[in-house]
Amino acid sequence: MSETKKPGLLVGALIGLRDWTDARLPIMTAWKKHMSEYYAPSNFNFWYFFGVLSMVVLVIQLLSGIWLTMNYTASAEAAFASVEYIMRDVDYGWILRYIHSTGASAFFAVVYMHMFRGMMYGSYQKPRELIWVFGMAIYLVLMMEGFLGYVLPWGQMSYWGANVIVSLAGAIPVIGDDLLVWVRGDYLISGATLNRFFALHVVALPIVLIALVVLHILALHEVGSNNPDGVDIKKHKGPDGVPLDGVPFHPYYTLYHDLGGIILFLFVFCAILFFAPEMGGYFLEIANFQEADSLKTPEHVPPVWYYTPFYSMLRAVTYPLFGIDAKFWGMLVMFGAIAILFVLPWLDKSPVKSMRYKGTFSRIALLSFVVAFLILGVLGTQSVSPAKTLLAQMMTLVYFGYFFAMPWYTRAEATSTPPERVTGRFISIPQLIGSLLLIAALVVIPLMLTNTAHASEASNVALDHVETSFEDKASLQRGWGTYMNYCAGCHELGYARYARTAEDLELDPQLVEANMIFDDASIGDLMTNAMSDDDSKVWFGAAPPDLTLIGRVRKPDWLYTYMRSFYNDPSRPLGANNTLYANVGMPNVLHGLQGDVICDDHGTNDPTQCELSHVEGTGSQTPAEFDQTVADLVNFLYYIGEPVRAKRQSIGVWVLLFLGLLYILVFFMSREFSKDYH
Amino acid sequence: MTDNSANVGRRRFLVGSTSAVGAVGVVGAAVPFVGSWNPSAKARAAGAPVRIDISRLNDGEMLGPIPAWRGRPIFVVKRSEALLTALNEDPGRLSDPDSQEPEQPDYAQNEFRARRPDVMVLVGLCPHLFCSPTPHIELKPQPFDEEWRGGFFCPCHGSRFDLAGRVYSGSPSSRNMEVPPYSFEDDNVLVIGIDEETAA
Repeated sequence: MSETKKPGLLVGALIGLRDWTDARLPIMTAWKKHMSEYYAPSNFNFWYFFGVLSMVVLVIQLLSGIWLTMNYTASAEAAFASVEYIMRDVDYGWILRYIHSTGASAFFAVVYMHMFRGMMYGSYQKPRELIWVFGMAIYLVLMMEGFLGYVLPWGQMSYWGANVIVSLAGAIPVIGDDLLVWVRGDYLISGATLNRFFALHVVALPIVLIALVVLHILALHEVGSNNPDGVDIKKHKGPDGVPLDGVPFHPYYTLYHDLGGIILFLFVFCAILFFAPEMGGYFLEIANFQEADSLKTPEHVPPVWYYTPFYSMLRAVTYPLFGIDAKFWGMLVMFGAIAILFVLPWLDKSPVKSMRYKGTFSRIALLSFVVAFLILGVLGTQSVSPAKTLLAQMMTLVYFGYFFAMPWYTRAEATSTPPERVTGRFISIPQLIGSLLLIAALVVIPLMLTNTAHASEASNVALDHVETSFEDKASLQRGWGTYMNYCAGCHELGYARYARTAEDLELDPQLVEANMIFDDASIGDLMTNAMSDDDSKVWFGAAPPDLTLIGRVRKPDWLYTYMRSFYNDPSRPLGANNTLYANVGMPNVLHGLQGDVICDDHGTNDPTQCELSHVEGTGSQTPAEFDQTVADLVNFLYYIGEPVRAKRQSIGVWVLLFLGLLYILVFFMSREFSKDYH
Repeated sequence: MTDNSANVGRRRFLVGSTSAVGAVGVVGAAVPFVGSWNPSAKARAAGAPVRIDISRLNDGEMLGPIPAWRGRPIFVVKRSEALLTALNEDPGRLSDPDSQEPEQPDYAQNEFRARRPDVMVLVGLCPHLFCSPTPHIELKPQPFDEEWRGGFFCPCHGSRFDLAGRVYSGSPSSRNMEVPPYSFEDDNVLVIGIDEETAA
């Protein structure tokens, strides 16, 4: 077989197709302009990953979002249930949902880093003003997109978050009230609001977003990328017209630089997705595991973390001015904080771009800005106190001061002269650690000072700890049995199915059908019950809540403590009270097992002050047996809150191992090929 | 990239292995997206096997199109001796009298296309363009067939089927009606959707 250099049949056909297309559409020109002959400065550092990563997250969000719409139902009646349907009944639906929810936070994380990069290296300065303006428009659309998307699961946070944000429209003088009704399409946030938000979230804004991203990149590729030194690489070109400090974006950055960064990013992304999708309530807020209820506000309605700096500024404005509500001025400050970012290119009067060559004033200003933004962000997740409001007000002034004083301090300070050519300089390790420590200290200390007043809040009732285990099938089976016998009469598990539960608990479906199903449901059905909400309101004063997600809303320790904190109280309508949940409307359904428990409240008449004692000889179980029964029940409830939890973690281990292996290969490949450019 | 010729082998290995592992990653990432298009637990529950009580079904009667199975009409016909005799009198008129085409489970590939000769179970859809045929069970001449021996007539395009769901030659449909998987839990309880005999 004497192979010549002639391309094979397939390759030849592909080349033919490429040339045929190129004669009709400039694909080769576009490839050269934007990839293989787009010369990027050779001194990109860590901060230059985040532009590419924003693109990666955009693709992730578009794909996972499209797939979510395939099973999501946009109606007030069905939206919440359809999200649980995706989480439980759709094959791999939980991955798609967690990809999208983690992606939302990841989007803001990388965009904030990307924006900081631009501020630090002066990437917004002439001739890149339009790139910055398009970027800010992307950020603004992203904030709207994130807000609209957060409403769609129709949980308590969705509802009340939407309520708060939409109400801002009502703060506008004169037209506010009418505008508010118009935005909602109703007199409250309702299904009409949900439907229009859905349309905007999945169709309108993504189109705008993609268009803006295209403009952002076209504008960038017209003038070329900035770099950490802020010098113009086009000033020094080789005889071939290629900038001496430029490297072709493809393959140098695409394959040998960014690919490794993307894989590291995916590693972090997947670690969160598979091991902490709620991210401690910051990515998926706990209250959002309860369905929207227009009559009951959650105790604390913080926005998702990426809006909290602006939310803090909104709350920080507490004075009415010129006869107009503080609410309106707060809204103005919040939107002003975003709007002022747009004009940044025209505020910076410095002769140099990069912070490396700017003077002391600029450095202090940027540091203060970052610290103020972070403090405002943390404050936005907490409830207010006078000290915190004062801190938020001060930080709001710092935030705006950074912009308003910029024309002055950028002119007043002494700058150093940037080099002619790019330097390969990186921040030194001590410098890096020093700056991080400085920022951390500046952020943490003021927060700690304002937090002292709140220390007493933590002195709640101590919860008893309970171990949960998905591996302990016997415990889960006993827990399910207890649930069906004592709880299922009133509380539905309306999002979970008998068949799936039987499979996960390793029970024979026929046995389950015979022993667990008391009505005429079949094994594939949801575990609903026949009690109507209207009846139960009459009987108990409130409809017993669905408990499918109670294990996510109330953690195992709370449930375990709660179920063991009932005591006899003849003054209550149902004869029982609870020390953890005073004057609860629920009877002690396990009383037959537990027996009588007496409360000694030391005359305080306060259920939370009770010292409980079990009356010996009452109840069909010993106290130890009863604790085990409750532990099993809690184990079951924790499992049914997120049935896929164990599987998610075991898949996650493999995904992370895989990404680790891929990273090692990419690392060695990048190192080998990078030699061509150094 | 023509220099570094000493590294050609090393480079080829690195590019090859990275591409191969990367391709595995792409396939892995596609799994949830592809897999989510499978029937969900809800769809599977709705498509679960259906039990039918046939104790009150008399000779020459049909039960159908309800209960349906997986959203498709199911015909259950109780065939008398006379109907069964008439079934195989003139196989020459049928396109596929011996059920050669795989339109039925193995246990129904016999002269009666049934587990039990007296009970005929069919998916009540014409294989031509999926209209539901009308049952004409009696042995009497019909406007569409002078020598009708009982069976089904599709009102949409005129396909004719005998009482075993076998298509007559000259019909628009070229295939027999489908026999779903089924079994008997006991003499009077028919389960559509399960092949195995579950009777004790």
